[in-house]
Amino acid sequence: MPPMPPVPPPLCLKGVRTRLAVPTACFSTSAARFANPPPKRKGTVAPPKRGTRTLNVKKGKSGFTQDTGKRPVQGERRAQRKRIVLTNDNALEVPSLKDLSRSNALDAANEGRVMGFPADVVDALRAVDAFKPTQGWSLFRRPAALMRKETMQLVGLMKEVEGAAKDGQQRKTIRRVLSGDRMSGKSTLLLQGLAVATLRGWVVVNLPDAQDIVNAHTDYAPLPKSSPPQYTQDTYTANLLHQILKANGAILEGISVTTNPKLPLPLPANPTLKNLVELGMVNPEVSWPVFTALWQELLQPGRPPVMLAIDGLSHIMRESEYMSAEFTPIHAHDLTLVRHFVDHLSGQKSLPNGGVVLAATSRSNAPTSPALDHCVKVAEALQNSPDNLPRWDLYRNVDGRVMEVLKGLQDPKTTDLDVIQAGGLTKEEARSIIEYYAESGMLRHQVDDGFVAEKWSLAGMGNIGELERASVRLRM
Amino acid sequence: MAQRELSKGLWAAAECLRSAPRPRCEQSIRCARRTFFPPTTRCFATTPARRVGNDNTQVLEPFNAAPPIDFSKPGKKESKNGLLRTLRVVPASPSYFSAKPTFNDDIVNLTALLRKFATLPTISNAEAPKVAWKTVDQYRIMTNEPVKTQRFHKMLHIVRRLNCIHPQLMPEEVTQAMLRYKKASQPGDQVPAPGVIDEWGRARGVGRRKTSSAVAFLVEGEGQVLVNGQSLATFFARLHHRESAVWALKVTHRLDKYNLFALVSGGGTTGQAEAMTLAVAKALLVHEPALKPALRRAGCITRDPRKVERKKAGHLKARKMPTWVKR
Repeated sequence: MPPMPPVPPPLCLKGVRTRLAVPTACFSTSAARFANPPPKRKGTVAPPKRGTRTLNVKKGKSGFTQDTGKRPVQGERRAQRKRIVLTNDNALEVPSLKDLSRSNALDAANEGRVMGFPADVVDALRAVDAFKPTQGWSLFRRPAALMRKETMQLVGLMKEVEGAAKDGQQRKTIRRVLSGDRMSGKSTLLLQGLAVATLRGWVVVNLPDAQDIVNAHTDYAPLPKSSPPQYTQDTYTANLLHQILKANGAILEGISVTTNPKLPLPLPANPTLKNLVELGMVNPEVSWPVFTALWQELLQPGRPPVMLAIDGLSHIMRESEYMSAEFTPIHAHDLTLVRHFVDHLSGQKSLPNGGVVLAATSRSNAPTSPALDHCVKVAEALQNSPDNLPRWDLYRNVDGRVMEVLKGLQDPKTTDLDVIQAGGLTKEEARSIIEYYAESGMLRHQVDDGFVAEKWSLAGMGNIGELERASVRLRM
Repeated sequence: MAQRELSKGLWAAAECLRSAPRPRCEQSIRCARRTFFPPTTRCFATTPARRVGNDNTQVLEPFNAAPPIDFSKPGKKESKNGLLRTLRVVPASPSYFSAKPTFNDDIVNLTALLRKFATLPTISNAEAPKVAWKTVDQYRIMTNEPVKTQRFHKMLHIVRRLNCIHPQLMPEEVTQAMLRYKKASQPGDQVPAPGVIDEWGRARGVGRRKTSSAVAFLVEGEGQVLVNGQSLATFFARLHHRESAVWALKVTHRLDKYNLFALVSGGGTTGQAEAMTLAVAKALLVHEPALKPALRRAGCITRDPRKVERKKAGHLKARKMPTWVKR
């Protein structure tokens, strides 16, 4: 290899090139490699502090992707989502609004009127989580609801339950599933049932959202000596006992424990039901035995009727999100609380002091439960067009346990299980509720027949949720 | 001698053309003595004029044409000009030697008509019956003459003036003459079959928008609405779409007077809702035809013809071009 010719320095080369204009190429890169690293540019500044605004629209590595937003406190978003606002100071007080009371709650003359809920009932309903955040309670001065045809049907059933007591025989247990279109007022109907029950001095047990029972957000444990295995949810049950106590405190305080329940923890002397519930409330590990003991107490003769209700029925008509020890999904009916409710819904257990078991279906938050859908459709068809009953699609997988539970829906005469269809309002009912909107100042329009008819049609033949949306929420 | 004959004939023709609007003076020169053809059968253009429309019924100025050539009659053999004497030297039309003989004749005839009926009472142009006149292109094709647009419009001006004659006094002659300038099909010629209310009391209407189509059945009732068997609120989640669907009823305050059943298909929700607007309006017109102006003002009569524009080759979308890159 011949020795390399000496390389002139770059400056020299540049001079030569400019002077002679002869193109020469530099074959070595060593000078550049051994040169000192280039100094950092003077103009650069430190990257902006976190939280300062910078305009950098680039994406990827070179982009400024740090999140400058302030994180919400833990639980803040959930609280925001679940917040129940029951009053609107800007809405007007409606002078003609009458309250429901113990005496007029079962009155058939209330039909088609908007009735307010008294304050103690509102507290009780709030305690059992009967108000839902999506309902329009925050639009009006105070909670009130229209006593519609279906409400009067439900109230009539409760009257029937109370009335049977006079004969001295066992009172009736009435079981109803609330069905209907989306926003047709199923949950509000349930709430009205709970309100009337509270007013009439019933014991109100409400499972506010079936989704919370089965979505595996609370702890669970196998129930000892159960076969096939059942699972208790201690925290959830303790919370439920807390809600029961808040809603029915006065009633429970007045009843003393007569059976001698075997509990792992001692009860105080001369215990009332309130003491019993408090025991389960503060000790979640005994909450399930306490709940069963409480239920036993409520079944004793001379006790008030019971209102047992659930919202979002289709969640408990399928497999739950919980897993068994074999890592198979636990069927919702194997959870003790669900089992308890479902036994009463199916008629396997009854309430000797009378009572109503209410289950509201949902259209917006409803996992598929073909068996439930089918049974409800059959029951609706039995009421609407008995000659044309829907048939089970043989190519769908049937959930046998659900079918077994809801068997009664296909034969409402013998078993007292039926559906209440929350349909559209009549025009008179629509007029009544629209007048209430107008009196509250939330609807600024003259309420006449034409206006009512227009809203009624646009709301899909009197769907009450759509009616509220069209006349109050979406004001132009 | 023959040349003199010919030039005389030409001069006479020119004279006829020039003096046409004026009252006819006595002819001092020798020209054709008799009218051979009835004026209705005159056809004299040098170019083969197409017999379009109502050519044979036009009203013409009285004009004396030369007799046709009769070759069967033997000419005088002794004279060199014997054959020429048998020829027709004055053409059938005074416009024969002009560039646009048919057009000129039309103008002459129309002017004569107008002069004849100028004293008849008229109505205003707005009240006159609506007529679709032939366009200049159609007229050019009919006459096969290079008529200037401006001249044609001047002629149409006369025709429009004739059209303004009071309809009760409109002479048959004018009606016949105007036929030549009317389009073959007039607005209002095609009347759609009137809608019928069937035995169940239903009126049917069809509407379309974008790619959706809707059929609406309207019966008297109390305001129930079903779309594809579902309630309005179930089918259209947006309130705006619901209002669009029953807009024809809402705007005429008929929402609580009728029950509506609709079948919609194709497209998206907006298209379906606005297809229903048209369908409902048409069905409503069957029940109450007098609502048409109100519905037109509400925009329920006219079909919106806009559709998705097709994608073109070389474009990324219908109009979008790829980014321009140097090399």
